[in-house]
Amino acid sequence: MANTWGYGAMTNSLNDIQNAKAIIIFGANPAVNHPVGFGHFLKAKERNNAKIIVIDPRYTKTAAKADLYAQIRPGTDIPFMYGMLHLIFKNGWQDKSYIKDRVYGMDLIIEEAKKWTPSKVEEVTGVSADLLIQITRAYAKETPGTLIWAMGLTQHTIGSSNTRLAPILQLSLGNIGIEGGGCNILRGHDNVQGATDMCCLSHTLPGYYGLSKGSWKYFAKSWGVDYDWLTKRFKSEDWMGKKGFTLSRWWSGVLGGNPGEDKIHNAGTNIKALFVMGNGITSTAQTKKVKEALDNLDIAVFCDPFVNEGAVITDKQDDVYILPATTQFETSGSVTATNRSAQWRNKVIEPMYEAKTDQDIMFEMAKRLGFYDELTMGMKVKENKKTYTFPEDATDEIARIIKTIGLTGWTAERLKKHSENWHQFDQVSLRGYGNMTGEYYGLPWPCWTEKHSGSPVLYNINRPVKEGGMGFRARFGVEHEGVDILAGAGSAPKNSSNKDGYPQITKENIEEVLGITLSEDEKKRMGKNWKVDTSNLIAEKCMEAGIAPYGNAKARANVWTFPDKIPLHREPLHSPREDLVKEHPSYATKENHYRVDTQYVTKQTEKPWAKEFPINLITGRLVNFNGAGMETRASKYLSALTPDMFCDINPDLAGRHGIRDGSMMWIHSPEGTKIKVKAKYSHSVTPDRIFIPLHFAGVMEGVDLSHKYPKGTKPYAIGESANTVTNYGYDIITQIPETKGGLCRVERA
Amino acid sequence: MSIDARMKFYCDENRCIHCDGCSVACAEAHELPVGVNRRKVVTINEGKIGLEFSLSVACMHCTDAPCEEVCPVDCFYIREDGIVLHSKEKCIGCAYCLYACPFGAPQFPEDGAFGTKGVMDKCTMCAGGPEETNSNKERELYGQNRISEGKVPVCAAMCSTKALLVGDAASVSDIFRERVLSAGHGVQSAPYGWDKAYGK
Repeated sequence: MANTWGYGAMTNSLNDIQNAKAIIIFGANPAVNHPVGFGHFLKAKERNNAKIIVIDPRYTKTAAKADLYAQIRPGTDIPFMYGMLHLIFKNGWQDKSYIKDRVYGMDLIIEEAKKWTPSKVEEVTGVSADLLIQITRAYAKETPGTLIWAMGLTQHTIGSSNTRLAPILQLSLGNIGIEGGGCNILRGHDNVQGATDMCCLSHTLPGYYGLSKGSWKYFAKSWGVDYDWLTKRFKSEDWMGKKGFTLSRWWSGVLGGNPGEDKIHNAGTNIKALFVMGNGITSTAQTKKVKEALDNLDIAVFCDPFVNEGAVITDKQDDVYILPATTQFETSGSVTATNRSAQWRNKVIEPMYEAKTDQDIMFEMAKRLGFYDELTMGMKVKENKKTYTFPEDATDEIARIIKTIGLTGWTAERLKKHSENWHQFDQVSLRGYGNMTGEYYGLPWPCWTEKHSGSPVLYNINRPVKEGGMGFRARFGVEHEGVDILAGAGSAPKNSSNKDGYPQITKENIEEVLGITLSEDEKKRMGKNWKVDTSNLIAEKCMEAGIAPYGNAKARANVWTFPDKIPLHREPLHSPREDLVKEHPSYATKENHYRVDTQYVTKQTEKPWAKEFPINLITGRLVNFNGAGMETRASKYLSALTPDMFCDINPDLAGRHGIRDGSMMWIHSPEGTKIKVKAKYSHSVTPDRIFIPLHFAGVMEGVDLSHKYPKGTKPYAIGESANTVTNYGYDIITQIPETKGGLCRVERA
Repeated sequence: MSIDARMKFYCDENRCIHCDGCSVACAEAHELPVGVNRRKVVTINEGKIGLEFSLSVACMHCTDAPCEEVCPVDCFYIREDGIVLHSKEKCIGCAYCLYACPFGAPQFPEDGAFGTKGVMDKCTMCAGGPEETNSNKERELYGQNRISEGKVPVCAAMCSTKALLVGDAASVSDIFRERVLSAGHGVQSAPYGWDKAYGK
């Protein structure tokens, strides 16, 4: 998404889904994972006659509410979407002027789509040609149409291609930048968008600033710390610009170099210490590797309100620390919702027992590690204060520094006012009334200035910029191979002083693009470009002129920096279709991919996997549990709904293996691992695939680990971790694990 | 609520997604033993394409309640607002009401070493029991009394898609009637007067 049009975030909002006339859902199960948000889907269907279309390998609770449902083979979303594009272009259902003015590289897509005839799509995806035609017609003819996805689309070796082709499908129909349209990615946990925006990741500084020297210097200045001091925190200055390990492959950082393990690039050492804050570490792929890595650490620390099962699965006896962290009810501050809106959350109770808030744990750590003053300086530097007030000063620090996604308007004071007046906002459009007139609930970013309304629908050119309008972001230059990639004439946001496309605004080009003249004083105060302009003059001037500070360009279907310029189908590393692996093989090994050499085609063709492991393995969530489940399995009522780890298995497949409903069965993985779970007969999966939920831990390969929980901390429900049998396979761009389409073998226990 | 209100539940099949928000909220609020399901969500034809649907079921608080008709010790009583309650101190745990009930509402906790059945427990529509309102004894035997505090029963309050409605039968049918009539008429996406002030 970010590589298509500038930002990798939900374009509209859950509420806006009510405006849709058609809703197509790829690899998401909002009825289970977003039950409250799913109310908006149901209202769209009820009040707007919206058609709900679900594409999923299993018949989910969401599919049960769908008008059309396609049971796709895992990992074949790209052929399916190309099949839709094939029919759209063939029948002339595309939005031609939209594509001409606002999209670059669609010609390459049209060419590729020609190959994916309905019968070819049927052969690869298992969805009948008739159903594909029916779905495409229903979706293309009803506008606006919104496209939804979640982990079912992203957790593949080609996840980053999936998440490009879905936006391209929407662009072909002109469904981006309008109410009721958009690419609405559903975030899986509270504040995932906020954590991403603050970049709890290893490849960029907060606010997606990247890791360049310029970015580090901007942050050093903004944090009020010395750049040289920052460089001394690293082995050497060049390591500041290198991506770190990912959550999915941290264990390779520990095990790298061992026989059979992928090679790592970590300045000649392995990872020795692990500090986990609120991450269910058994919910990441390949739990046996996670366990082995934990066993080999020098020190492991887990901060959680409940016992993190990382501490339970490891055999490590010493230097494993469990720190009691508070829940969200014992602290306050802003959280960011899936639609880029912020909400202020108030403390309900004081921290219980000896539990500490996450920030207090970090502050105390920083004191002992000797950088507390530097860590907290950013909260004091603006007004030269002696002390800070948390979290208000932290929120204001974020607002002061993060320009890239337009957080300037997110002051603590404004966010609090929104949460206190939430009743004065419309529940569909998010528009405020009464005291809140002229603002959108939670000030969805970009919120360019301290007076800006917030932007409820990204890339909407039907509104002025100061009321949330904008074109696509000019993030990829002004031309590619001699072709202008700025927006075409007539696609500027409403009331814009510049009707043409324009690049991102810098001190150098602002006068020309906006058609204004700056005073000498303004020139002196203004930063180099919109991303580092601490004076915020660029944004202020842009608002007056109706110009988006980040420019106005075309979205691009051609990402020339990626291994696949346009999304191409590549079979999963563990595919049940040997014949299609030959036709659509995976990538060459990627060296130093977030510090780990990562295998693709070599792993894919290492063995004829499907001979020994013929069944597709799908993992996913249940409505009653969350993440790795340590919090929710500690509730007796939630645990009572699904007290045992189970496997949804079609009675036909089960019958062939003599597995009875409710009896135990083994699931074997190509990784040489296995789990013992209870069989649950279900027609939601076809006989060629099984489904297992990912929330359990506390049993490993048939061995009960109950004795390892500290006294009184064992949850009401324990069970095998699904990820003990998920397969090797990591996305070519992001390293996200391929948990939604591996292979396995089932056996009666 | 009018003077002659009759309190009723209604679960909208088109909206229920079997999230179990209602049943867990109920168990949590009334601190029920695990296994006593005052409210339960049922999915029929699970996984069968085009046939699956879900519904949340509890005591329907019948006007002419069969449980009350058949109870040998006459432990049931019907409040003026139509809520069907019973006395756990009179109940002998015979389960005859379970035979009579068309919805499977009566629940029996398993007590003791041989799984002997305790006295009957069922949905109170969050209205407690015959003990003094909001007393400890009422809370212990029947759970919270939210109705006395003017609150909506916890199941409907928690319902994620507002499939489950509760209240005076007239109000419940008003809400549902409005839903039916507004079907297909689109959504109002801007507050009244917005287009005049700011344009579309």
